[in-house]
Amino acid sequence: MKVRFIGLSFLIITFLNCGMQIVECGEPKSKISRDEVIKLFTNANENYLQAAKGIAARNNQEADQKLKEAALQYETILTHGFEHGQIYYNLGNTYYRKGELGRAILNYRKAQRLIPRNADLHANLSMAKNSTEDKELPNEIPVVIRKMFFWFFLLSVNELIVAAVFLYIVFMTLVFFLIILKYGWLKRFMIGFAVGLFIAVVSVGIKIYREQGVNHGVITTTKCQVRYGPGEEYEPKFEIHDGAECLIEGEKDDWYNVYVYVGVKQDTESKTGAEEKVSKEVRKGWLQKKDVGII
Amino acid sequence: MRKYVRYFGFLISVVIIFGCISNTYAQGINLVATVDRNSLTLSDRLQLTLTIHGTQDTSPPSFPSIDGFTLLFGPKISVQTSIINGAVSVSKGYTYVLQPAAKGKFTIGPSTVEYKGKVYSSSPVTVEVVGAVPSSGSQAPDLGKLVFVELRTDKNEAYIYEQVVLSFRFYFQKGLPVADIDYVAPGTKNFMEEKLGDQRQYEEIRDGVVYNVLELRTALFPMVSGELPISPARLKCNLIIQQRREQRDSPFDSFFSDAFFDDFFGRGQKRYPVERTTGSIAVKVKPLPDQGKPKEFNGAVGAYNMDVSIKTQQVKVGDPITLSMSVYGEGNIQTINEPLLVLNNAKDFKLYPAESNTQITNREELIRGRKVFSKVIEPQKTNLKSIPAIVFSFFDPRAGQYRMITKEPMPIVVEAGEQEMSIQLTLSGNNIASAKQQAHILTQDILPIMTNLSSLRNQADRRYTNPFFIACLSIPAIAVIASFFVTRQKERLQTDIGYARDKRAHAIAKKRLALAKSALSRNASEEFYSSLSKSMADYLADKFNISAASATGDKVGILLKQRGVRDDIIGEVSRCLTDFDYRRFSKDGGTREEMDHSLKLAEQLITKLERQL
Repeated sequence: MKVRFIGLSFLIITFLNCGMQIVECGEPKSKISRDEVIKLFTNANENYLQAAKGIAARNNQEADQKLKEAALQYETILTHGFEHGQIYYNLGNTYYRKGELGRAILNYRKAQRLIPRNADLHANLSMAKNSTEDKELPNEIPVVIRKMFFWFFLLSVNELIVAAVFLYIVFMTLVFFLIILKYGWLKRFMIGFAVGLFIAVVSVGIKIYREQGVNHGVITTTKCQVRYGPGEEYEPKFEIHDGAECLIEGEKDDWYNVYVYVGVKQDTESKTGAEEKVSKEVRKGWLQKKDVGII
Repeated sequence: MRKYVRYFGFLISVVIIFGCISNTYAQGINLVATVDRNSLTLSDRLQLTLTIHGTQDTSPPSFPSIDGFTLLFGPKISVQTSIINGAVSVSKGYTYVLQPAAKGKFTIGPSTVEYKGKVYSSSPVTVEVVGAVPSSGSQAPDLGKLVFVELRTDKNEAYIYEQVVLSFRFYFQKGLPVADIDYVAPGTKNFMEEKLGDQRQYEEIRDGVVYNVLELRTALFPMVSGELPISPARLKCNLIIQQRREQRDSPFDSFFSDAFFDDFFGRGQKRYPVERTTGSIAVKVKPLPDQGKPKEFNGAVGAYNMDVSIKTQQVKVGDPITLSMSVYGEGNIQTINEPLLVLNNAKDFKLYPAESNTQITNREELIRGRKVFSKVIEPQKTNLKSIPAIVFSFFDPRAGQYRMITKEPMPIVVEAGEQEMSIQLTLSGNNIASAKQQAHILTQDILPIMTNLSSLRNQADRRYTNPFFIACLSIPAIAVIASFFVTRQKERLQTDIGYARDKRAHAIAKKRLALAKSALSRNASEEFYSSLSKSMADYLADKFNISAASATGDKVGILLKQRGVRDDIIGEVSRCLTDFDYRRFSKDGGTREEMDHSLKLAEQLITKLERQL
C-alpha cells in the first residue's frame, strides 16, 4: 500500500514538474524584465505629467518633446512583448495630447480588450471619438443586448476563460460527488453549472473570434482616400479621416479591403430647437495599409 | 340639359381627335419598302410591303420595277392608326406577294407616291435568290439571319471620367416569337457603371427587312487612361417557329389543323435555342489635359451648373450658417467633390466638412443628377459682411477645356455673440435670477493616466493555449470516469455474491496458504493439511459459487472442464484435493519435504487456476 502511495506521489510530482517547465517554455515571455518595465513605465508617466504641465503653462515646444519621449517609452515596453491595459491607455492619452486622434483611439481600443471595465478608458475613448472629423459610428451593439449579455462585454478573454475553467471544475466535482454519494439534489446544481459552463464556453469562443478572427482597424493619418480598387490608379470613392474605424475584410499587396460603418449626424432645425438626425450606412472600398492601425 | 351635356362632350372628343390627326398630317409623310426576307430560294415567295407613314389619304404608291420576280397577287391594303399619349400615328400598307423567277441578286427599285404636290420615294431593297437548299429531315430554318446582336459605344474616344454610353442591341425579325432570353452583360473592368433607363423596344429596317430591336444601355465612366477593352456580351434565347403541318384526309384533322387550334394548343411550334455573342470593342481613354487646369479643379468631368443658397442671413458670432451648394448636370455626379470656398482670411470663418446628398434626376439618355452639399460655416468676427465666394471647377469633355463656375459672396449680418456665464458659487437675494443661468462646460479634457504599478503584469500571456493547461483540464474528467467505474464495481461486489466470491477467492486462498505455511514451520502436519485442503476447496467453491462441502474432486473436475481448463491441471487438482483430505485425516503426515512439496503444488495450482478462470 505504501509503495503504491509513494509511486503515485512520484508520478504526480514528476507530471507537475514537467508541466511547469512546459508552461515556462511555452509562454510568450517578454524580452524585458518586469523591473525594467516598471522603470520605463514610471519614466514615461513622469514625462507625460511634465508635458501636461507644459501644456498648462503654454510651453508647447517642451510639452511636445516630453510627449514624444513618453510615447517612445510606452512603445518600447510594448514592442518588447509586455502588454497591459494601463500601458495602452497611457499611450492613448499621450497620442491624444499630441493631437494624433487615430493612434489614440487605436490604443484605447487595444486597452479596452485588456481592461474592459475601466470607466476612465471609456470616458477618454468617447471623448476621442467625439473629436474625430467623421461623425462615424462603428456598428455599435444596442444597450439592451449589452445589458443582457453583460458578462461578455465586462470580462476580457482571459477572465472569461478563468470563469469557464472554474465552472468546469465545479461541474466535474458535482458529477464526481453525484456518482459517489448519489444525492439527488446535486443533480439540480449540476444542471445549473452545466448551463453556466455552456454559456461561458460559447462566450469565450465568440470573444476569441471577434478579437482574433475579425480584424478591426483605425485610420491613423489625417486624411485617407478610400478607393474603388487596390491601387492608386483607381478613382477615390470617399474620404475618411483620422480616428475613423473600419472592418478589414481582405487585403491585396499594400491595400486593405475595408467596410466603414458611417453614421452621418445632421442638425435639423425645428420649433422645439435643434434636433440631431443620425443615419447609418455601410461603405466599402480599398485603402493603403500604412493608413490603418490594426486593433 | 343632359342632352346638351352629352352633345358637348361628343363635340370636344371630335375636336381632340381631329386636332391630333391634323397635327400628325402636318408633320409630313414618308414611304418605306420592306420585304419579309432578303435571301430566298426559287420555291419561296417574297412578301413586299410599301408603307406610307403619316397619312392614309393618298393614292397607292407606284409599283416598283422588279427584275427576276413575277407578281403573284396584291396589293393587300392594311390601315393602322395608333394614339399613344395623345400622339397619333397613322400608316397605310400595300402588300404584294412575289414569286422569284430566276437565281441571282435583284434590286427592288424605289416606289414613289405623290402627296400634296410633293413626290416621296422609298429606298431600293436588294434581294438574293439562291438555288433550292437540300432539305434536311428536320427542316430547320436558317436562324442566322433571323436574330443577331450588336454592342457599340456612342464614342470611340473619351477623356478619363467622361460619360460613354454602351448599348447592347438584340435584333430579331418582326413577328418572330422569342422566349427565355438570358443575357450576360459585357465585362467592363476599369469602368464605373450606371444603368441607363429601362430597356427600349423599337423597330428598325436593315437591308429592307423589319427587325424588332431590344436595346439595353449603360453609362460607363472610364477610371484609367489607355486603350480599355470591353469584353463581349452574350445572349441566349429560344426562337419559337411554326412548323408546316402535313395535310390529312380526315375532316376532323382538317378542322383542328387550323392555325387557331395550333396556337391554342401550342401544336406545330418548335423551340430553337439560339446563342449570339457580340464582338469585343475598345474605347481609347485620354488623360485630362494639364494645360489650363485650374488649381480649384477637383476631378469633376461633365457639364455642370451650380446653385448656392444660405438659410439665415442674420447670425451672431459663432452661430452656424448652413450653406447649401447644389451642383447639377451631366456626368458622374456621385463622385464629384464639394465646391471650394475662397476665404480672404482663414480665421474669418470656422468651416465644418460638408455632408452631401446625391440624386440621379434623369437616366434616360445620359446620367444627369444633382448633388447637394450642406456645409456649416461659423462666422468668427462681427465685421464680416458676406460669406466667401464659392468656386466649382470641372472639365467639359465636349469643349475639351476646363470651366469654372464662381458664385459671388452673399451678404450676411453678423452680430456680437453672448458671453458665457461662469458657475455662480454664492447666492444672494439680488442675483437669484442670474443664478438660474445654466452651467456651461468651459473646457473638456481627457482623464489622467494610470500609475498603478502593483497590477502591472504581462497580459499578453496566453496560458490557456498551453498544452499542460489543456492536459490539466482532462484530470477532472478522468477522475469522474474513474469514480464511475469504481462505484459500479463496488455495487456489483455488494449485490452479486457469485461475482464477489470469485473476486475474493484468490485473496482468501492466499491467506489460508499463509496459515498452512505457519503450520508447516511448527511441523503441525494435521493443521497444515487442514489449511491446505481448505484453501484449495474454498478457493474452488468461491470460484464456482458453490458450497465448500460440495467442492469434491469429481464435481470440481466437471466444472473446471466446463470452463475449458486443461486436463492435466484438472487431474492435478483432483489428486491434490483427494491427497490433502487423505493426509488430513490419516496419521501419516508425511515428511517435511513432502509437506513442502504439497505447499508448493497448492500454490502453483491456485496461481494456474487464477490465470485460467
